[in-house]
Amino acid sequence: MSDRTRASIPANSTSAPTAQSSAPLSGRQPVLELRNVTKRFGPLTVLDGIDLSVAQGEVVVLVGPSGCGKSTLLRCTVGLEQIDGGEVLLDGEVVSGRERTQQDRSRMGMVFQSYDLFPNMSVIDNVTLAPTIVRGQSQKDAREKAKALLARVGLADRADARPSTLSGGQQQRVAICRALAMEPEVLLLDEVTAALDPEMVHEVLQVVLELADDGLTMLIVTHEMSFAQAIADRVVMLDAGHIVEEGGPEFFTNPKTERAKAFLRTFEFHRSGRDS
Amino acid sequence: MSTISRRTFVKLFGSSVMTMASLGMAGCGGSSEDAAATDIASDAEGFRTLDQIKESGTVIIGVFSDKAPFGYVDDAGEYQGYDVEFANRLVTDLGTQVEWVATDPANRVPFLESNKVDIILANFTVTDERAEKVDFSLPYMKVQLGVVSPDSALVKSVDDLAGKTLIVVKGTTAETFFEQEYPDVELQKYDQYADAYNALLDGRGDAFSTDNTEVLAWAKENPGFTVGIDALGNEDTIAAAVAKGNDTLLGFIDDEIKALADENFFHNAYDKTLAPVYGTDVDPDTLVVEGGAI
Amino acid sequence: MGAEFLLQGATIKRLLVGLGVTLRISLVSVALSIPFGVLMGVLFTRKNRMLQVVLRAYLNFIRVMPQLVLLYVVFFGSATTLGLNFSGEVASIIVFTLWGAAELGDLVRAALESIPRSQYDSSYVLGLTQRQTFLRVILPQALSRLLPPSVNLVTRIVKTTSLCMLIGVVEVVRVGQQIIDYYRFDYPQGALWTYATLALLYFCICWPLSMLSKWLEGRNTR
Repeated sequence: MSDRTRASIPANSTSAPTAQSSAPLSGRQPVLELRNVTKRFGPLTVLDGIDLSVAQGEVVVLVGPSGCGKSTLLRCTVGLEQIDGGEVLLDGEVVSGRERTQQDRSRMGMVFQSYDLFPNMSVIDNVTLAPTIVRGQSQKDAREKAKALLARVGLADRADARPSTLSGGQQQRVAICRALAMEPEVLLLDEVTAALDPEMVHEVLQVVLELADDGLTMLIVTHEMSFAQAIADRVVMLDAGHIVEEGGPEFFTNPKTERAKAFLRTFEFHRSGRDS
Repeated sequence: MSTISRRTFVKLFGSSVMTMASLGMAGCGGSSEDAAATDIASDAEGFRTLDQIKESGTVIIGVFSDKAPFGYVDDAGEYQGYDVEFANRLVTDLGTQVEWVATDPANRVPFLESNKVDIILANFTVTDERAEKVDFSLPYMKVQLGVVSPDSALVKSVDDLAGKTLIVVKGTTAETFFEQEYPDVELQKYDQYADAYNALLDGRGDAFSTDNTEVLAWAKENPGFTVGIDALGNEDTIAAAVAKGNDTLLGFIDDEIKALADENFFHNAYDKTLAPVYGTDVDPDTLVVEGGAI
Repeated sequence: MGAEFLLQGATIKRLLVGLGVTLRISLVSVALSIPFGVLMGVLFTRKNRMLQVVLRAYLNFIRVMPQLVLLYVVFFGSATTLGLNFSGEVASIIVFTLWGAAELGDLVRAALESIPRSQYDSSYVLGLTQRQTFLRVILPQALSRLLPPSVNLVTRIVKTTSLCMLIGVVEVVRVGQQIIDYYRFDYPQGALWTYATLALLYFCICWPLSMLSKWLEGRNTR
């Protein structure tokens, strides 16, 4: 997978132009902004003054070795973890700490590694729950929208199934629909394929790629390097709680820092005695 | 809990645990079965006097419901037995209805102390320990020790026991009696009544001694065995009991017992309820007390 | 056969009346245990130290106390010390409710704690309130995990009500003993037949319950 899928599909009106610069899209108000975000677990500083912004329609991929703080950064962003310093802004308003309201929470969507569908509800009820009880949409409207979303990820026929009867890849697609049903301003994906069997990884990533093509603003943590390369407008590498490198997709072919080079080498394999 | 003082709670709880302890001993037989029962009787004067019972129209009497022939329930669901005969007569003379409460050996004292029943008529042996917690009426029955043995080598007197082995159940009056009065008699001790009877049946022992009411009923069911001694040792009396201090009710029961002697009431009750179990060989006067006179 | 006495007089009817008492005590106790148990289980999962200590103490107290002791405390003890005159049945219901609520509370706690943290996280990021999360997501899942062990608890309660006879309640086992005693001389095998009948009666109540429990368990793991 060397060609970027997105390049072959014309971006729609809300989609950002493919950014080549390492900075956030200039002249645009960032949708999501992290300012000097710090997080400690006891004596351990997991995030040490992170500054990061994601512009409207931009897809930012977070990479880095295990334990570098990528997942924690997502959890701090949506408020699943309280931050110890700095602030998180959504459309320019502070939403971290006490400022975060119930409505603020629903303005960001998040999909987890282990999908975490509600096992006591059918697929469609998983998708319509939040729109009806948080947003107050009617059952009818919510179901119609849910059906459209499920159709989009190829699961229209499984609307009434129980999550436990679905494959991992199908469950993860439902989880994406569940997040999208709230029409989030930004969608956070936390290693959404890490728990999947290899043959199911592609069907899920294909859905994410299509979302990017539709111009959805996303902050993605992944270990799928070819996927990251295909989808990223911008790549941010995190190590030991710091951002060590930030750049466009050329990060993968031409990393600037030694740390990034070393990290990318861990995805390569060579047999000794052969030319690479 | 706030309305209950800590002391009250400790007492409430402690007393009940004591009651429990007595339950554990119930299986041992003899008169110690509820020796450890509660010491809380004096707390509440909640018993119902004779007049209050009459006014209410119902007397509550605790009887055995599964210990024939003293108190049991027949196939029609009616309470019957020697104790119940007397109870029914009391009810008639009180001019009230009756509410039966099914009691067990271990909870007879607690039932009175908690004023859950007005009268206990449940083969209740009079002991000093119990008399501290409840008030006993005049007796209407008496129990002594009996000795049962095979007809082939019948033991008719204590002298006959020389050179023989006597079976007793641990913790019973029989054990204490023979140890103190006849230390020369060789005893074979068992924990359970069933084991003791089996020992007699298969000849491990030559005779078995316990309450005469027990051995008389057993001998009737087991041909080849006879109660050669039917009254031995101290007489234990059996009486009705009421809550401590319930003098009006106690006076009524005592007067009844005295008056009923004229019609030979307890002999009639014996014929009706006990005779079928003990047979005609037993002299009713070894068991029956008439008019409260020993 | 030696069992014909079971058909004599009012024997069958008396056994059924006794069974009715057994069921009445059991069902009322269970019905009362449910709201108290659920409340206790929910309070258990609150991270309040004081509350934890109190609830834990209550649960352990009920667990170490033989039910018979509790029956004596409530029936005799409360009458002598507090002047509360409960009938045998009411005292039994109080004790089995105290016991049922404690055990059910612990089951509710375990069921709630067995719901993975990620279910709370998923609800949180969708914007559900704590209350919505509990009522719509956590509780329904906890209930389905809770049902099988709860049904088992009910069968334990049904079986343990035989202790109520020791505070004068004439329930089914007591009726059985009365029948055995009455037929002791005429039907030496009467005890065996009566106990067999009692076993059958308990079986008729407890077996469907344990089947229900199994079925619910199977449904959960599907």
